[in-house]
Amino acid sequence: MQQNLNFLVVDDFSTMRRIIKNLLHDLGYANVTEADDGNTALPLLKDGNFDFLITDWNMPGMPGLELLKLVRADARLGKMPVLMLTAEAKREQIVEAAQAGVSGYVIKPFTAATLKEKIDKIMAARAAA
Amino acid sequence: MTTPTQQKDEYAPWVRAMARALDGGDDDGLRAALAGFDQARNPEVTLQVRRVATDLQTALDRFRVDSKLIDLAQRQVPDARHRLAHVLRLTDDAAHRTMDLVEQCCPLADRLAREAERLLGLQEADESPQQLRLRVTAFLQQAGTGMAVVRSNLAEVLLAQGYQDLSGQIIRGVMTLVDELEEALGELVRIAGSDAAGRGGGSTLSGHGPVVPGINHGPAVGGQQDVDALLSDLGM
Repeated sequence: MQQNLNFLVVDDFSTMRRIIKNLLHDLGYANVTEADDGNTALPLLKDGNFDFLITDWNMPGMPGLELLKLVRADARLGKMPVLMLTAEAKREQIVEAAQAGVSGYVIKPFTAATLKEKIDKIMAARAAA
Repeated sequence: MTTPTQQKDEYAPWVRAMARALDGGDDDGLRAALAGFDQARNPEVTLQVRRVATDLQTALDRFRVDSKLIDLAQRQVPDARHRLAHVLRLTDDAAHRTMDLVEQCCPLADRLAREAERLLGLQEADESPQQLRLRVTAFLQQAGTGMAVVRSNLAEVLLAQGYQDLSGQIIRGVMTLVDELEEALGELVRIAGSDAAGRGGGSTLSGHGPVVPGINHGPAVGGQQDVDALLSDLGM
């Protein structure tokens, strides 16, 4: 069931997008789309049928926190799971992301096990809700 | 305006000093007394000359710093930008090349692992020795070819790390430029007589980037465990 989820991975570095995409493939998630910042991600999210958003924070154009806030403010996208995958490691930033409604927060560099654990946890919480 | 009495009081010591120096044949003393007399006679002119000299010195200093800054801004900073863009390309290319090679190796390793498992299964299922021998031979051939590709790819992965040497040299050059820029700007601030140290704090919304040892952007978490603990404290 889960393997049919549609992921959108947003990161300004193509290498990082590729790493995340490969890890998602290894976890059995084959439907992965990429975007390089919030400005390109938002129209994709609005027009597409995505189930899960993984986004970096620090990107030229629209940063991930703004994208998160816009997703949460959108009537259709508001409940979408959003995992922040970022090098931003200030305590106040993590608190801010939590207040903005992030579903999970993973700091770079990260491991495949951490990514899997967070995705599983988020999906389990959604299934229970 | 000074009164004649004041003028007398100001000039008298210098005139006496001149007379003493003349009588004593003291050339240095005479020059000093003459300069003192002149200063006493024209205090405002002396002040103005001093001010002009200081202004001239400042203007010369500023010109020197400005010329350096202009060179840094017009030539060296754009150069540095190109160099850093090149570093970005180098690291990007190396990362993609490495991932290409690893992605080629993964299916080979998967295939061999699957085949090994199948052979073990056949062995346990008591397949005829002839059949098993054929399969083992095919597997070994496959393993030999696959491992040669893996070996060659690993060698290329090693080579792809060569970017570090090149990018390291470029980054060192840019660090030298930043030092020069800092020095020139510091000099400009000194000439301008300003001690205002305006600091543009990074915006939290756009992010600060990775934690860099020695650069303090406020309290940061030490790893994923700290993030989880913090989020747990927040009720997540």
